[in-house]
Amino acid sequence: MRFLCMLLALVCLACERSQDAQPEAFQVGLLTPGSIRDAGWNQSAYEGLLRVREELGAEIAHQVTRTPQQVEEGFRDLAARGFELVFGHGFEFQDAAAKVGREYPDTVFITTSGSTVRPNVSPIVFELEQATYVLGYVGASISRRARLAAVGGVKVPSVASTFMAFEAGARAARSTVRVSVSYIGSWTDVSAAREATLAAIAEGVDVLIHNLNEAAHGFFQAVRESEGVLAFGANRNQNALAPEHVLASATIDIPQALLLVAREVESGSFQPRSIRFGLRDGVIQIEWNEGLLARVPADVKREADALVTRIKEGALEVPRAGF
Amino acid sequence: MRGWRSVLAPLGAIGIALVALGLLLLLLGADPLRALGALMGGAFGDRNALENTLLRMCPLLLVGLGVALAFRCGVWNIGGEGQLYLGALAASALATRVLPDAPALLLLPLVVLGGALAGALWGGIAAALRVGRGVSEVLSTILLNFVALLLVAYAVHGPLQEASGAYPQSDLFPLAAQLGLLPGTGRVHSGLVLALLLPAALWFGLFRTAAGLRLRAVGLAPEAARYAGIRPERELVRVLLISGGLAGLAGALEVSGVTGRLFENLSSGYGFTAIAVALLARLHPLGVLPAAAFFAALSTGSGAMQRVAAVPAVTVQLLEALVILISASFALPRRTD
Repeated sequence: MRFLCMLLALVCLACERSQDAQPEAFQVGLLTPGSIRDAGWNQSAYEGLLRVREELGAEIAHQVTRTPQQVEEGFRDLAARGFELVFGHGFEFQDAAAKVGREYPDTVFITTSGSTVRPNVSPIVFELEQATYVLGYVGASISRRARLAAVGGVKVPSVASTFMAFEAGARAARSTVRVSVSYIGSWTDVSAAREATLAAIAEGVDVLIHNLNEAAHGFFQAVRESEGVLAFGANRNQNALAPEHVLASATIDIPQALLLVAREVESGSFQPRSIRFGLRDGVIQIEWNEGLLARVPADVKREADALVTRIKEGALEVPRAGF
Repeated sequence: MRGWRSVLAPLGAIGIALVALGLLLLLLGADPLRALGALMGGAFGDRNALENTLLRMCPLLLVGLGVALAFRCGVWNIGGEGQLYLGALAASALATRVLPDAPALLLLPLVVLGGALAGALWGGIAAALRVGRGVSEVLSTILLNFVALLLVAYAVHGPLQEASGAYPQSDLFPLAAQLGLLPGTGRVHSGLVLALLLPAALWFGLFRTAAGLRLRAVGLAPEAARYAGIRPERELVRVLLISGGLAGLAGALEVSGVTGRLFENLSSGYGFTAIAVALLARLHPLGVLPAAAFFAALSTGSGAMQRVAAVPAVTVQLLEALVILISASFALPRRTD
């Protein structure tokens, strides 16, 4: 009984202290669907949040939200506390952003990927297709048998779109190229990814790309086991995962994207729209494995660089699925 | 008497758990006062917080009641999570595919009842396996959780996926299939009223009817019950149907009252936390109400602990698990009392 009283006193004291006045800093929040120590999607968003704090002196808050209801709670609470900007890290945050956005017009809600646009709600769209197009071009140019493959996790439009661009790039280099696409039905199944990759290689494929999360380890395992096979990394720089095989990675600089949006919101220049980030913004990049560049003929590398320049200038529109 | 003990033991358990939580926060280098303040504020601090807590209480209450009832009968239903998902799945299929154009007066009851029936069916599978093949319901209900989760995954990637095909989620429920809000609240759906009435109804059923007596008799001593003319198998089937039905109802209310869609990660483990709810309530239907409120508050408050006090998510999860462990084990009724 005595410790219950003490506890009560403790709690009252705590409530007292939590009501301190907030300073007038730029406040930026982030909700992630998973742990920020995943060395991937969520961690990069948190790094972005830290960068926003560093560069803009913002006050930050973060929460892991695993269910739609937690998402709504997180959005609503941060908005009610006067946060100017809240990121929801994934398409699954759109509904809640639109809903809470209506109630809190003074807060800007940004979802990383998605398509919902409202006066204070916008998605960031990463045009990874620009990079996979160029890699497809390179892949088709160097493949000995003109056989390419793409291994995906789950067949969602954003992933299918990166493969579509990969194939279009390959065809632009060599109209006879064959690109086989397979999905393993999971983001995390390492052995399924390995098997799908080995199956493609057994059919004569010698250049591969993927779009997998944790399961990517299986993809690189298979590539490491197969002689004479080249591969591309996706989403992050994965050149070190199989340094003898990975020629380049199509990377997304998520921290940079978050910082660019935060700058807009802080300066008051933010306009609601689908915020597209590609090669031009430096958010999407092609990172080459310097150790393997010798495998790429000089003229192919030159053409690839020229493609990058044309995409940056807007002279070349890379095909992407509408979603 | 055991009357007051059954109230004090859970309260003591909660007290011990909260003190342990404070100590652990201190150990992990967080400011325990600030974190606990955030926890309380996040659970009860303002209207938003209160509504969040009420919304989370609803599934915990329903599944918790089902678990308590089953445990009373000596049936270890660990499948609340799967039964909840199946309820949500059936409700979503009805609302978005089978009868999307039906009028609200018809559609809403169908969606809610359909969810409950699907949950009952899922519990019924475990019952049939136990009665027919002697398969322990502990195993079958746990394993059926995975089957249910995969079925939902299949549905939102396949037959129930939204028309645009963009994301693994169902279409938004038509308005006629969405539960109305309680007047005066921003988000609390009317299903909560139903959930709040059920503890009293189940208390009456359990302690004031012959059916309730049979159920409890089987839980206390199945062979003695059989000698008294009760068929334990029949009680087992019945209680698994009710227990699954309550979890299925919880799932239906989640999709039709909170999210308006089916997702893969609809539940934050409500079906498992509900076991702790039932244990903290010492398997008493009326006790499930405060126990569900406590765990709901813990869960909403822990979100605020991340946002306000910057306690990392993993630490918060560790704390939640610790509180569940302590409160459930200290509140567990001894079989001999």
